[in-house]
Amino acid sequence: MIQVHNLHKHFKVTRHHQGRLAGVRNLLTREYRLVKAVDNVSFTIQTGELVGYLGPNGAGKSTTIKMLTGLLVPTGGDLVVNGRIPHQSRQQYVANIGVVFGQRTTLWWDLPVIESLELLQHVYRVPADRFRQNLSEFTDLLDLKPFLHTPVRSLSLGQRMRADLCAALLHDPALLFLDEPTIGLDVVAKERIRQFIQHVNRERGTTIILTTHDLQDVEKLCERVMIIDHGRLLFDGQLNDLRERFDGRRELLVDMAEAYEDVSVEGAQVVARDGWQVTYQFSRSSVTASELISRISQRYRIRDLAVREPDIEATIRRIYEERLLET
Amino acid sequence: MRLFWEITRRSFRRFMTYRAAALAGLVTNVFFGLLRVSVLLALYDGRPEVAGYTVPGIITYTALTQAVIAYLSLFGWFDLMQSVYTGEIAADLLKPMRLFTFWLAQDTGRAAVNILLRGVTIMIIYGLLFDLTYPQTAVQTLAVILTIILSWLLSFTWRFLINLPAFWTPNARGIVRLGYVLAWFFSGFLMPLRFLPDWVQRVAYLTPFPHMLNSVVDVYVGVLSGTELLRVLLIQAAWVLALALMGQLVLKTAVRRLVILGG
Ligand SMILES: Nc1ncnc2c1ncn2[C@@H]1O[C@H](COP(=O)(O)OP(=O)(O)O)[C@@H](O)[C@H]1O
Ligand SMILES: [Mg+2]
Repeated sequence: MIQVHNLHKHFKVTRHHQGRLAGVRNLLTREYRLVKAVDNVSFTIQTGELVGYLGPNGAGKSTTIKMLTGLLVPTGGDLVVNGRIPHQSRQQYVANIGVVFGQRTTLWWDLPVIESLELLQHVYRVPADRFRQNLSEFTDLLDLKPFLHTPVRSLSLGQRMRADLCAALLHDPALLFLDEPTIGLDVVAKERIRQFIQHVNRERGTTIILTTHDLQDVEKLCERVMIIDHGRLLFDGQLNDLRERFDGRRELLVDMAEAYEDVSVEGAQVVARDGWQVTYQFSRSSVTASELISRISQRYRIRDLAVREPDIEATIRRIYEERLLET
Repeated sequence: MRLFWEITRRSFRRFMTYRAAALAGLVTNVFFGLLRVSVLLALYDGRPEVAGYTVPGIITYTALTQAVIAYLSLFGWFDLMQSVYTGEIAADLLKPMRLFTFWLAQDTGRAAVNILLRGVTIMIIYGLLFDLTYPQTAVQTLAVILTIILSWLLSFTWRFLINLPAFWTPNARGIVRLGYVLAWFFSGFLMPLRFLPDWVQRVAYLTPFPHMLNSVVDVYVGVLSGTELLRVLLIQAAWVLALALMGQLVLKTAVRRLVILGG
């Protein structure tokens, strides 16, 4: 469904002079810096997959999505989606995809949600009964009812995202691009959106690419994950593989109830001690969090504890440090 | 066609919700119109007619030009430019529709609201205050309706075109403003073009602007008739086509630039 081969996107960014007479010098000489937002990326995605495209801020995720949706023309490389080259024949191409950018809405700002959705019916020429069917299904799944008649500009971020997801799917696209659909949302809102995405992929067979810098999105949703950083694809494979090979170590923070000389425990290392607080590190493959907690609590009196999951930055740092992908 | 109507309908409703603003605009338009009437009448200095305009003619001219300010967006329209700067344009590009048509449909709703809330109202107010001239025959009435529609299309295609530099520079506001100043002067908004020296008139008629406003007044007060009238309507239509075509071409280049450089 999606074939990407040696994809590049370079941006020329004007470098501004600093210091004395900077203004004048900016006028006289322009210096450019080349930003390789996407640097030689290749992958293939099959119909029905739900792929997580993971990377920290500025990694090149949005740039990739913009090329896949035809909003940007690649600097180099090949790109075929749905049998078409996205940036050519824009109108025909976008008729069969759905896109949600977490940062902005496709809905009309001043219109009540329902008005926007009904307008989209005409934009995509969706048959009336199909439209009604989809609308009622999504209204239930996303719980849109309470704000269907509210203007988009007065929605909360979570509500807006739900409305946008509905808007992106009313025309039954075979392919859905989601660029950071959970950004800025609280835990409950994130969870609801994840469930919806999963539903759309499983029940409707929609192929979905989801970009995120939230590792949990990927853990809850995707079997396959691609990791990008500085424009380069660092990993493309099963999430389980990623976990086994590179997963950053989890940390357990423990507040002891009294002072102990020796706080060691089997299966974890003590990496920091601050008064009565101890930080253990452990890896998923050697021990589970609950097992470790019970081991510790058998030996010591605990007042409080917290598990800290490795973040995407740490994982990517490890991938770099251990050069595990250089094969 | 259905899509066009649906967009227009929503736009109409949206602009209808700004009724309070429309009322404020209405009051301003009426007030400044009265000011302009008094200035122009001072110019007449007791003469019954200047450059083909009788006293009721010149009052009608003022009423009409005040009435169409909002309808033609004579004081500026930056919506397209704004959507480029905010990046909203990307969302529109991801929909299977033509941008030009999409904006035209929205402007249809906007124009309809303004001709009703401000155009017709202002004419009625002036009609109550002064002796105005009115179209005399059915043919002339039809011509007035046609020329008013054409003038709006002309203003739209012009506004669309001068908003497009936004794709090239982050400071396109100045260019757009200059465009509007040109339009005020050459359209006969400041004073009827007939009042100006011959050569200025000749320069003006090389531009589309007289057909945005001056021609409407000419048709309405009835200084044009027969083939002259037909000719003016045709020229208006020709300008609409030319500017629309140019807008499409520039838009195409603009979008190509956007997808290469990135928004
Ligand atoms: N239009 C643009 N012009 C210049 N640089 C850009 C443009 N868009 C993105 N970039 C740069 O490209 C890099 C990748 O950006 P992006 O794809 O938005 O990252 P992500 O979505 O992963 O956060 C960043 O360094 C960003 O500053
Ligand atoms: Mg991004």
